[in-house]
Amino acid sequence: MARMKFLCDADRCIECNACVTACKNENDVPWGINRRRVVTINDGEPGERSISVACMHCSDAPCIAVCPVDTIYQTEDGVVLHDKDICIGCGYCFFACPFGAPQFPAAAAFGSRGKMDKCTFCAGGPEPDLSTAEHRKYGSNRLAEGKLPLCAEMCSTKALLAGDGAEIADIYRQRVVWRGAGAGAWGWDLAYGRRQRQNANRQ
Amino acid sequence: MMRARPGCGWRTVLAAALTMAVLAAPLIPQGWAYLGDPKSTQRIDPTNRLWRELRQGAAGQTQVQAPEAGVLIASAGEEWRRLRNGPLRTWGAYWLAAAAGGVALIFLWRGRIRIEGGRSGRTVERWRLPHRVLHWYTAVLFLILALTGLSLLYGRAVVLPLFGKEVFGLYAQGAKVLHNYLGPLFPVGVILMAALWARNNLPARVDLRWLAEGGGILFRDRHPPAGNMNAGEKLWFWIVVFGGLTVSVTGIILDFPGLGQTRETMQTAQIVHAASAIFMLGFAVGHIYIGTLGTEGALEGMVHGRVDVNWARQHHLLWYEEITRGGGPEPEAAGEGEGEPAAGA
Amino acid sequence: MRLIKKTGASAATGGMDRRTFLKTSGLAAGGAALAGLAPGAMMRRAEAAEGGAKVETVRTVCTHCSVGCGIIAEVQNGVWVGQEPAFDHPFNRGAHCAKGASVREHGIGERRLKYPMKLENGKWKRISWEQAIDEVGERLLAIRQQSGPDAVYWLGSAKHSNEQAYLFRKMAALWGTNNVDHQARICHSTTVAGVANTWGYGAMTNSYNDIHNSRAVLLIGSNPAEAHPVALQHILRAKERNNAAIIVVDPRYTRTAAKATEYVRIRPGTDVPFIWGLLWHIFENGWEDREFIRTRVYGMDKVRAEVKKWHPREVENVVGVSEQQMRRVAKMLADNRPGTIVWCMGGTQHTIGNNNTRAYCILQLALGNMGTAGGGANIFRGHDNVQGATDLGVLSHTLPGYYGLSEGAWRHWARVWDLDFDWIAARFDQNEYAGDNGKPVKPMFYKGIPVSRWIDGVLEDKENIGQRDNIRAMIFWGHAPNSQTRGVEMKKAMERLDLIVVVDPYPTFTAVLPDRKDGIYLLPAATQFETYGSVTASNRSLQWRDRVIEPMFESLPDHTIMYKLAKKLGFAAELTKHIEVRNDEPLVEDILRELNRGMWTIGYTGQSPERLKRQQRNWGTFNYTTLQAEGGPCNGEYYGLPWPCWGTPELGHPGTPILYDMSKPVAKGGLTFRARFGVERNGVSLLADGVYSVGSEIRDGYPEFTDKLLKQLGWWDDLTPEEKNAAEGRNWKTDLSGGIQRVAIQHGCAPFGNAKARCEVWNFPDPIPVHREPLYTPRRDLVAKYPTYEDRKRFYRLPTRYRSIQETDFSRDFPIILTSGRLVEYEGGGDESRSNPWLAELQQHMFVEIHPVDANNNGIRDGQQVWVETPEGRIKVMALVTRRVAPGVAFLPFHFAGHFQGEDLRAKYPPGADPYVLGEAANTAMTYGYDSVTQMQESKVSLCRIRAA
Ligand SMILES: Nc1nc2c(c(=O)[nH]1)N[C@H]1C(S)=C(S)[C@@H](COP(=O)(O)OP(=O)(O)OC[C@H]3O[C@@H](n4cnc5c(=O)[nH]c(N)nc54)[C@H](O)[C@@H]3O)O[C@H]1N2
Ligand SMILES: Nc1nc2c(c(=O)[nH]1)N[C@H]1C(S)=C(S)[C@@H](COP(=O)(O)OP(=O)(O)OC[C@H]3O[C@@H](n4cnc5c(=O)[nH]c(N)nc54)[C@H](O)[C@@H]3O)O[C@H]1N2
Ligand code: HEM
Ligand code: HEM
Ligand code: SF4
Ligand code: SF4
Ligand code: SF4
Ligand code: SF4
Ligand code: SF4
Ligand SMILES: [Mo]
Repeated sequence: MARMKFLCDADRCIECNACVTACKNENDVPWGINRRRVVTINDGEPGERSISVACMHCSDAPCIAVCPVDTIYQTEDGVVLHDKDICIGCGYCFFACPFGAPQFPAAAAFGSRGKMDKCTFCAGGPEPDLSTAEHRKYGSNRLAEGKLPLCAEMCSTKALLAGDGAEIADIYRQRVVWRGAGAGAWGWDLAYGRRQRQNANRQ
Repeated sequence: MMRARPGCGWRTVLAAALTMAVLAAPLIPQGWAYLGDPKSTQRIDPTNRLWRELRQGAAGQTQVQAPEAGVLIASAGEEWRRLRNGPLRTWGAYWLAAAAGGVALIFLWRGRIRIEGGRSGRTVERWRLPHRVLHWYTAVLFLILALTGLSLLYGRAVVLPLFGKEVFGLYAQGAKVLHNYLGPLFPVGVILMAALWARNNLPARVDLRWLAEGGGILFRDRHPPAGNMNAGEKLWFWIVVFGGLTVSVTGIILDFPGLGQTRETMQTAQIVHAASAIFMLGFAVGHIYIGTLGTEGALEGMVHGRVDVNWARQHHLLWYEEITRGGGPEPEAAGEGEGEPAAGA
Repeated sequence: MRLIKKTGASAATGGMDRRTFLKTSGLAAGGAALAGLAPGAMMRRAEAAEGGAKVETVRTVCTHCSVGCGIIAEVQNGVWVGQEPAFDHPFNRGAHCAKGASVREHGIGERRLKYPMKLENGKWKRISWEQAIDEVGERLLAIRQQSGPDAVYWLGSAKHSNEQAYLFRKMAALWGTNNVDHQARICHSTTVAGVANTWGYGAMTNSYNDIHNSRAVLLIGSNPAEAHPVALQHILRAKERNNAAIIVVDPRYTRTAAKATEYVRIRPGTDVPFIWGLLWHIFENGWEDREFIRTRVYGMDKVRAEVKKWHPREVENVVGVSEQQMRRVAKMLADNRPGTIVWCMGGTQHTIGNNNTRAYCILQLALGNMGTAGGGANIFRGHDNVQGATDLGVLSHTLPGYYGLSEGAWRHWARVWDLDFDWIAARFDQNEYAGDNGKPVKPMFYKGIPVSRWIDGVLEDKENIGQRDNIRAMIFWGHAPNSQTRGVEMKKAMERLDLIVVVDPYPTFTAVLPDRKDGIYLLPAATQFETYGSVTASNRSLQWRDRVIEPMFESLPDHTIMYKLAKKLGFAAELTKHIEVRNDEPLVEDILRELNRGMWTIGYTGQSPERLKRQQRNWGTFNYTTLQAEGGPCNGEYYGLPWPCWGTPELGHPGTPILYDMSKPVAKGGLTFRARFGVERNGVSLLADGVYSVGSEIRDGYPEFTDKLLKQLGWWDDLTPEEKNAAEGRNWKTDLSGGIQRVAIQHGCAPFGNAKARCEVWNFPDPIPVHREPLYTPRRDLVAKYPTYEDRKRFYRLPTRYRSIQETDFSRDFPIILTSGRLVEYEGGGDESRSNPWLAELQQHMFVEIHPVDANNNGIRDGQQVWVETPEGRIKVMALVTRRVAPGVAFLPFHFAGHFQGEDLRAKYPPGADPYVLGEAANTAMTYGYDSVTQMQESKVSLCRIRAA
């Protein structure tokens, strides 16, 4: 079974925000909600690095652990999805998530945040694959169409890789060999844990 | 539930307390597991400086306009999850179970404290209407908030398996809405209580004795004198005031996420909120026990305003002496339909 | 349940003011998310999907920059429902930047101009197309009557397809004026002039993909990480796989610099001394390519003499770069060949822009990096079709194909158009005016007013300009106003005009800048996704765009609007004499065929619609690095038939992927330097010395091909009888049969000759590039040594000031250098991209980058509102305190508009057509200054002061 993962190559990411925009486009994500964002550290100074981040579809996902209504789940592919019908919009997943992935359409009085929204790895939600209901609530289900997330597919520099963990680890390792150095891969450890990484690297 | 029905009441309380204790049991090993595994969040690759900085929450720049969007890794979330799903939940369950169990034990040990010498048939005014309204306003809110709040904390483990995600989801949605909308009303009660009742609850020398004698609850043969409020009530009062304020402030922080507070603030608020709410709740169990099942004749004061003279003498001798001394209000004979029937059913 | 609550769905359809919008626009503002926006888009998608209509895929090309990324659009029921990456596209392999990833929004277009409108009593009034064309036409004819054809200014666009650009230029010609121009003037005009005058053609010599072969990449005044992001895909590949040195030379530590192996910070406006500083080390150490210089370069000795003056100490004083770093960079370039140079606006937008671009060329010539894979001058162009629109002469100084404005040029095009030369000539103002050199000239042969200066064409005293009257009507046909400097004067000029016409998918800042009550017409143009045609990428490749959707709302394709207007103006028949017109829409393929028949100079002749369409369908068969098709129907061709694609389509030339590359036969895309400047100069031959392209039968330099040369060589009889007929008395540029080109190529020769590149451009103000301080310079100590030019009385019809401005010392009141440039999310004047919510959300505030030192000295905090004031204007923006800029340097992005000197003009937009994000236009503050050859505006160096607002 494939284990879906993201990897952002910080030595390549140029903060062009194509990934962010592609996600908006593909999933009709409204203004104010960003399933993906690009963060630049040391902005404008030597050592500047940009990193694109969304839900990392963690192995031991903190969001799943804290959701009071247990609406977040992990698919066989390792994709972390949730059921908006059940979500009560408490925001706990946002508190727990290391990557700030969960998003809410509002942050209004009386804790009314609306239904949580986050990156689905372009894999829709619990509704039947490719149904209109699924699209309305969760955006596209590219995985069901045999495609990978659009954010990564459109990345200008191919910094953002998405797909089976073993494969993207291979791609990245090849780059590191070419470069002769580099520790720019990002987010892997925290999201997926050391064991998975070693597995991925062994394969 | 204005009229206490001691007969069935005690069984309900006991049952509730036991269920709580039983339900909390499965959580215990989980809690230990969390406490015993401190390395679960330590996965830092020491070779990567960038990574390390980010793990420490270094913020960058981003075009996404949202609070803290610049923070790449919010490690505090891990800690929050550990605390909430671990100690908070476990110790909270212990505490509530202990409170419920304690009450049950006391009941078994001591039974209901009857009005000594039976009812006199004469009553004195103890709580005027506005005060009673205030009490019940606050009390009912508290209970709803507790029920709804606990549903969020424990519902997934306790209720969800019974009803399934859809039903529980609907219920939790309702609970959350209720909790979030009623929550801000709670501090109103607390503040009014503090303003109106604080004077009565200032500590006095007599409280020491009351405490030393176990409040007349623990030991059958002692009847320590007390003023308007006894030491136990005073303790409860201050717990209500300070606990209530803590719960309210933290609750408001959680309830109005658009005020610009950071995620970390909200995480802290959440832990403090739930912990202090549960802390209060434990005492509330005791308070409610004493107010209902534990003490004959107490509730009627809070329900109808007047208490039996014998009850007053028994529990608040100093107060009774004070109000009857020199032109104090004369006790009246209990009228039809007012107060408890003189003899227990 | 929905993704978000549907409250306020109606809000998305217009009427929401900015404050509500921003308030409801996100967590930051503390409000609810903008409900309704996404559902709007989503609903269209859902509706389209109903009934399960088939999803068609359409191949098109991004409209936002010159990289030319391929796009696969998915269309269902006429609705653009999806955008897929074109993984097999040779330029981008499916990748995009933010703008490209957002183009589907064009199919939603909530903020578009939806129908024709005019300003009446200060109110926008909806009118019909008939009324619009009628009224605009009447007014234009009246102005023509009173003031002559030159009183109308035709401002075209780099957004037009090749066919539309060509038709636009033809339309201006038939109207009878050279007052026609487009963005290239304020973009790469100094490149085109400088580069063409060095080696023949003014274009990018290699390609983005070819950078894969580079071992060094010198980026100077170019920030592709924001401006050409997909180029980074290729640059980073060179960095990773070739271990190529990536050197970024820029006053700012840009996003590109963050990926570089070496960053060099220079003072804005000191590119020539920087390059000379490098050459100083190169010459000093003998790192130049002597053999290359001997055989292929003219005039390097004079360069040596100039370079001698740039001792490392002087370089450090003027440029601000240490001797060690200069030497290190020079050595890097010497050690890593082939290396390429990339430049953009940091080099071009200066009063000495043409000197800069020539200096860059000279560096590459000295290193022997020209005409080779991995080398070249990779000049990243700007708009998606600025290369095409330039090639097609939407410029005030030339006809299509760089033929110029001479009588010969006019006659050539008259023949292509099959129109009587005298008829065309009669369309022009027949009077003569003193020209740039003081001699009388007829307007037909006189360079028109450039877009950078149209405001002076309006405001300047009539007596001082080289035409009959002032400009009285402006037609902005796909051009923003905030892209031109001197906004305060522009407002005045706009208020003085009789008529303003905007033909654009968006109202643009033009609609709101002037305080007028009437006299503005807004005509909704369709975008390039709502029509079809060819577009030329930076690397000279022509790509075919298919129509994705039908024109939205009441919009019409530009060529349809042109035809309608020409009909009203009375020359539609001439305009489309050999072009089929259906329903007022001239047939795009016919337009391309017509221009194919005239564009011999640069080989825009082989790219027939059929060939381009075939390539488009098979774009997956082209090699990612060489761009050559490997097998398949296009086997051997280069992607986009990069010009010159010699001869007729039937000749089957594959296009020229790398200019001046002698390692391939001309027939297979090889080339020599062009013999453009004669055969000798002061007794020295300008022809190549003993070198020639592979397979050439002439094994030495040779001049350009004419009928006479063919006869001399004995190749005349290789022509067919019909070709002979057409070729008699003509040359490779004017022989409409293409026979001369065919025969030259058949013998392995380049039709344009084989000459040396020249370092000395004797017809320019500075034949050897020299440094001159900017007009607004903080270095008063250098003014005497490196002064600017003398004022000119007449230059492109207008008085042009240099010294009279530099004389004044502004630096005490305005101590900070002000420069400007781009952000990745927005494009150009920004009306289009700021109306796209997916992009607008990412850049909500106009800002100025300012160094902490300057911020602290002026008591400014990050995020605070400040006034940026120049000697000519002031703007109120947010301070972004950053070390990206050096102390004493401030930077403005130029994509914002909608505010003017502190005033928010949102209320003046036509209802529902105001962009989501407004802000101050940088160019409200940017100042005077124009290149000495092309009238390029100086938008990279001025002076300002910044204080808290
Ligand atoms: N996102 C986006 N992409 C675009 C466009 C857009 O508007 N938005 N526009 C397109 C167009 S039309 C064009 S022409 C290109 C332009 O692309 P670029 O020219 O790369 O973009 P700019 O930001 O204008 O300028 C590049 C750099 O020049 C630097 N600079 C300023 N002054 C000087 C100087 O005196 N010397 C040197 N060496 N450098 C200097 C600036 O700091 C800036 O980083 O981008 C194209 N791509
Ligand atoms: N200060 C400063 N000023 C600058 C620059 C700078 O770096 N600094 N850069 C300069 C450069 S390089 C350039 S190229 C210019 C760019 O500046 P402009 O080209 O003026 O800016 P855009 O907004 O891209 O203008 C294009 C217009 O065409 C419209 N359009 C798009 N598609 C179509 C179409 O199919 N048909 C029609 N009719 N219209 C269409 C768009 O809506 C938009 O209004 O700005 C220049 N100005
Ligand atoms: C069903 C639940 C409850 C019952 C039956 C009950 C009963 C009573 C009674 C009988 C008294 C009066 C004691 C006396 O006259 O001395 C009292 C006092 C009080 N109760 Fe409750 N109560 C309940 C819940 C609560 C709750 C939830 C709170 C707090 C949030 C609360 C706060 C108080 C306070 C502050 C006092 C006054 C004590 C003082 O001033 O020292 N009660 N309650
Ligand atoms: C007074 C008695 C209260 C009790 C016993 C109580 C209890 C709780 C509990 C147990 C939780 C769940 C924690 C978890 O699942 O981890 C909670 C959450 C919360 N409480 Fe309270 N609470 C009380 C009062 C208040 C008040 C006064 C407010 C607001 C003013 C408030 C606002 C909240 C909010 C906003 C949450 C987060 C839940 C969400 O938004 O879904 N609570 N409370
Ligand atoms: S990144 Fe956040 S939201 Fe995504 S799986 Fe991990 S914890 Fe959950
Ligand atoms: S916001 Fe929704 S998904 Fe997140 S924890 Fe709460 S209920 Fe679960
Ligand atoms: S995987 Fe899909 S949903 Fe997730 S960020 Fe990328 S485009 Fe958005
Ligand atoms: S598209 Fe790629 S390069 Fe651009 S910001 Fe996203 S991850 Fe970085
Ligand atoms: S703007 Fe340029 S780089 Fe970006 S997607 Fe379009 S063509 Fe490609
Ligand atoms: Mo440009």
